[in-house]
Amino acid sequence: MSLVSIEFIGFVIISLLLYYMIPKKYQWIMLLVSSISFYLIGGTTAILYLIFTTLTTYFAGRLLGKCNKEDKKYADIIKKKKRLIVLVTALLNFGILFFLKYWNPVADMINNTLQVEKISRLELILPLGLSFYIFQSIGYIIDVYRNKYDPERNVFKYTLFTSFFPQMVQGPISRFDSLGNELFSEHKFSWDNLKDGIQLLMLGYFKKLVIADRAAVVVNAAIGNYTEQSGSVLLVAMILYCIQLYCDFSGGIDVTRAVAKMFGITLVDNFKRPIFSTSLTDFWRRWHISLGSWMKDYLFFPMSMSKPFVKFGKFVRKHIPGKAGKILPVSMVTFIVYFVIGIWHGGSLKYIAFGFWNGILITTALLLEPFFIKVKQKLNITDKNKLFYIFQIVRTSIIVLIGRYITRAPRLLAVFDMARITFTNFNLSNVFDGTMMNFGITVTDYIVIIVGTMIMLIMEAIDEYGVGTKKILEKKKVIIQWILLMISILTITVFGICRGNYIASEFIYKQF
Amino acid sequence: MTSKKWCIMFFASVILVVIMYAMFNVLVDPFGVFGDKIFDWYSYNMTNNPRVAKTAYLDKHYNEYDSYIIGCSSTSSFPTEDLNKYFDAKFYNLIMYGADMLDVEKTSEYIIDNYNVKNLILNVYITNGYKYDEEEDNLTRNLHAKVGGENPISFYGRYAFLDMQYSLAKIKSKREDTYLTKPSDVFDVSSGAYDKKVRDVEPIGNLEKYLEAYPVFKNYPQESIELTAIDKTTESINKIKQKCDENGINLIVVASPVYEKYLEYFPKDDVKEFYTKLAQVTPFWDFTTSIVSREPRYFYDETHFRNAVGTMMIGKIAGSDDVYIPEDFGTYVTLENVSEHVETLWTIENEEEYTKQVPIIMCHNIVENPTEDSEISPERFEEQIKRLSDEGYIAVLMQDLVDYVEKGKELPEKPICITFDDGYLSNYEIAYPILKKYNMKATIFVIGSTVGCQTNYKNTEHPITPHFTIEQAKEMVESGIISIQSHTYDMHQWAPYEDAEQPRENILKFENETEIEYMDALKKDISKIKEVVEQSGDELIAVAYPSGKSETLTNVVLNANDIKATLTIEKENNTIIKGLPQSLYCLNRFNMYEALTADEMIKLIEGD
Amino acid sequence: MEKLIDILKDLRPDIDIECQSLVDDGILDSFDIVTLVGELVDTFSIEIGVEDIIPENFNSVDAIMALINSKA
Repeated sequence: MSLVSIEFIGFVIISLLLYYMIPKKYQWIMLLVSSISFYLIGGTTAILYLIFTTLTTYFAGRLLGKCNKEDKKYADIIKKKKRLIVLVTALLNFGILFFLKYWNPVADMINNTLQVEKISRLELILPLGLSFYIFQSIGYIIDVYRNKYDPERNVFKYTLFTSFFPQMVQGPISRFDSLGNELFSEHKFSWDNLKDGIQLLMLGYFKKLVIADRAAVVVNAAIGNYTEQSGSVLLVAMILYCIQLYCDFSGGIDVTRAVAKMFGITLVDNFKRPIFSTSLTDFWRRWHISLGSWMKDYLFFPMSMSKPFVKFGKFVRKHIPGKAGKILPVSMVTFIVYFVIGIWHGGSLKYIAFGFWNGILITTALLLEPFFIKVKQKLNITDKNKLFYIFQIVRTSIIVLIGRYITRAPRLLAVFDMARITFTNFNLSNVFDGTMMNFGITVTDYIVIIVGTMIMLIMEAIDEYGVGTKKILEKKKVIIQWILLMISILTITVFGICRGNYIASEFIYKQF
Repeated sequence: MTSKKWCIMFFASVILVVIMYAMFNVLVDPFGVFGDKIFDWYSYNMTNNPRVAKTAYLDKHYNEYDSYIIGCSSTSSFPTEDLNKYFDAKFYNLIMYGADMLDVEKTSEYIIDNYNVKNLILNVYITNGYKYDEEEDNLTRNLHAKVGGENPISFYGRYAFLDMQYSLAKIKSKREDTYLTKPSDVFDVSSGAYDKKVRDVEPIGNLEKYLEAYPVFKNYPQESIELTAIDKTTESINKIKQKCDENGINLIVVASPVYEKYLEYFPKDDVKEFYTKLAQVTPFWDFTTSIVSREPRYFYDETHFRNAVGTMMIGKIAGSDDVYIPEDFGTYVTLENVSEHVETLWTIENEEEYTKQVPIIMCHNIVENPTEDSEISPERFEEQIKRLSDEGYIAVLMQDLVDYVEKGKELPEKPICITFDDGYLSNYEIAYPILKKYNMKATIFVIGSTVGCQTNYKNTEHPITPHFTIEQAKEMVESGIISIQSHTYDMHQWAPYEDAEQPRENILKFENETEIEYMDALKKDISKIKEVVEQSGDELIAVAYPSGKSETLTNVVLNANDIKATLTIEKENNTIIKGLPQSLYCLNRFNMYEALTADEMIKLIEGD
Repeated sequence: MEKLIDILKDLRPDIDIECQSLVDDGILDSFDIVTLVGELVDTFSIEIGVEDIIPENFNSVDAIMALINSKA
């Protein structure tokens, strides 16, 4: 069920009504029933994977919990046992993830390289939310391993944690200590929550239906046929792709959070206005936050503080004096983390390249930071300099845009082609001479994309630098609030919902 | 504002938007189910869904009709003018694209129950043998709730909450609407048929060129389709038949022509079974195969025959003798002859000729010592005419071509058309006597406004090559040797001599002119030249385009004003086809000039 | 304490020693923390594990000092 379908809205309304009508004690059961139904509507076999992950991590959690309570005398043995439990659970679950996600891409890659059908493709279905619930439950296991909290004893409650339906489609990856409490506690109906939910829902639909779905048409048409485009058109299409990606992903997350909010549950936000990032590191702190923070807590810290690495760090500090010696080991871990984030996006070579791109840039920036500081001092630039700030934002946008070339190219090698076309055959006039009209959308649609994106950016700028859009709007007169509300509803209806099924009559009739 | 108030405001606004949304669709009404009060544009609504919009239209206008023809898309090719003429009735064409016999049955029942019906013509096509009660798109291909029996709430609700793109498209199309048929409004509202004014002037002649334009006939696809719906279809026809009998309605069932290669899709036994069972239900006129089925130029595409064929069918049914009907076209099939008839469906034995090569030559002025391409000396002219006569060519007039095409009246073995443009005095003084001498007929296309101008260009000071007078024209027409036709009244102006800011040098529409203005100008010009032609004692049936130029709209207007033939200056031969009036549009002509010897001329017109 | 402040100043020259929310305000990012931990381990000869890496332990100079003392 798509987040933007009428069915989804209906599903949410029915669930909400039941949720607030039944005794509060049973609310979490209602949520579990909704979640499982939501999953079953999407397909029945996929739920087996969900059950597998839920059960393995549940029992691993219980075992770890028992270990945590055991006598400290046997600390060493217990630690080994705990490690084994985490290792086995993680291997099993990530094994499934890798198999389902990467088998076919890797098979294709090998077959293509060897020009023979060495490895056969498999008919694999990628279960809904697979990587999200696996990351979420592995995070849970590690937290229990670290004795951050006690494991959940009730298997059904735990199942609700892994299967909570709004976040099945695109995350975010939540933590048990924050989400669990919210899920299992009783919630009184609140108009505040409903209002917040509705507003967030409208924002999400605006981004997704009005902007992203329009931009997607151009992006698919232009880049699907990238060899025929001139550089300027390709560049515009890529910028539209960045807009599409952000609006689609963050819009989806808005919908997810909005729905959760209506149930009285606050989910972590996944985006923090990435357009205002001042560096690539900053970008990754603002984009897909829950993934980045997962990587930090469960990959970056454990790796950089593992015994071999600590030893290696001491060794380097001894032999390379000064700042470089201090940061080199950690930079290497950073590189690995970004590399993993790259691969997380998908199974083909281009994502590996994407991992490299991020890893290398960030690591280089870290290593060269002392040098940059000196340069800045020489040029008399302080962090408060507005021009420098804008320069940072523009620079980061360009770096991110290049990264998107890598991920959006049909194949890895196509990236170079696309880059070559962008630079050697720019031909700016093509953007205005009607070429852009051949991609399936009209001038009106372009205007909608541009105006929509502007509105979104202005709202984000107010949120970033001012008191917040919401606060400003709530202070306005009722009539103005109403007019704005009507405009929003009409915009979403006219430009968002009413597209798609329509077939112009000329396709039906052929003038007999 | 409290959150509670805000939420209530939100829900109220949503309801308001929903109501506004429905209102918008109801008012614009792209399917015509709510009365289409604002646009009243049923040809658009019918294009979206002919079933629904025609029912809605007829509910308002059924008093204007007393007879109906019904069936799938090929039904559109039965011109209602012809039906009205022969049946002395007011026909409405209930063509519904993709209609199966269940649609037809329900619609027939509805019109019989609700309207006044004298005649009902039921068009059965071979596809009805396998299509019955198909899954249909419930916006564009469903029946009206009144006809199909759907729950009115779901029916009207669906059209009220339609994707508003349909409504927006209607508004947009209205702004771009033109007189010519556009893909968004293809119906002629008052007859119910497809508006074919453009298709009916599409110049058709040479077969090779036709196959280039319609490649489907060149590489005809091959398929195999079993007729699995014979029983259901014939059962539906039976119900219609009974209903007609009960109500005293004259039911005529027609099986329409099928392109020969399309017929091969279907197993012979299935086709025989279909027609046998049909004959058990009702006698019917069968046009399935004949020499027509073999000729792609009689078809728009693999499954749709042209209006010209519809005219032949109606003529055959009505027993008319003033239209061309091929000998083997149409059989009245009854229980007695059906078993014999179905055996003959795959043998087309008729070998009659129905096309003719007609070269047309074009002259202008005849002068001693010609200097221009449009001039020719009397000696050369006589040499050419004599040679044509010697070669056995018999010169014919435009009317002879029209009679060949419309009525099938034969032309001479070697026909030729001799034409003159502009109407110079030399035509009367020099050419006319020569033509008389060799008994060769010719057509002179005069510019109405310069007829009789001896010295001056119209009412100006400017000199002009002398033109013959209306009396001289009359004399020539009376001789039977010469026909006077139109080179427009005043749409071939000589720009340097005109005061007008924008002189009309040809018959084309000005860039800055609206369609209406152009059509008015053209119609006025036609009525003026018609007067001139009639003064000469002739009847206006042909137009030679000034400078040979024309556009679709020109042809549409000319055709609507009874112009049966038009001529260009393309140097090519012509193929004209019996029963196909558009083969007389945009005829080609060979220019005769001084340097052209008689030998060269013969080579030219014989295509060597 | 002095040593710790030296290390911090070396790590982030612009650091405000009085600040009570070094991590929450993003003055110290994860990269800084790992680098810092490396230095602390060297300087104070203590062991710090992953489970100790929580914002509360690094939000202020006092908190970091408390962490060092608890491990000593």
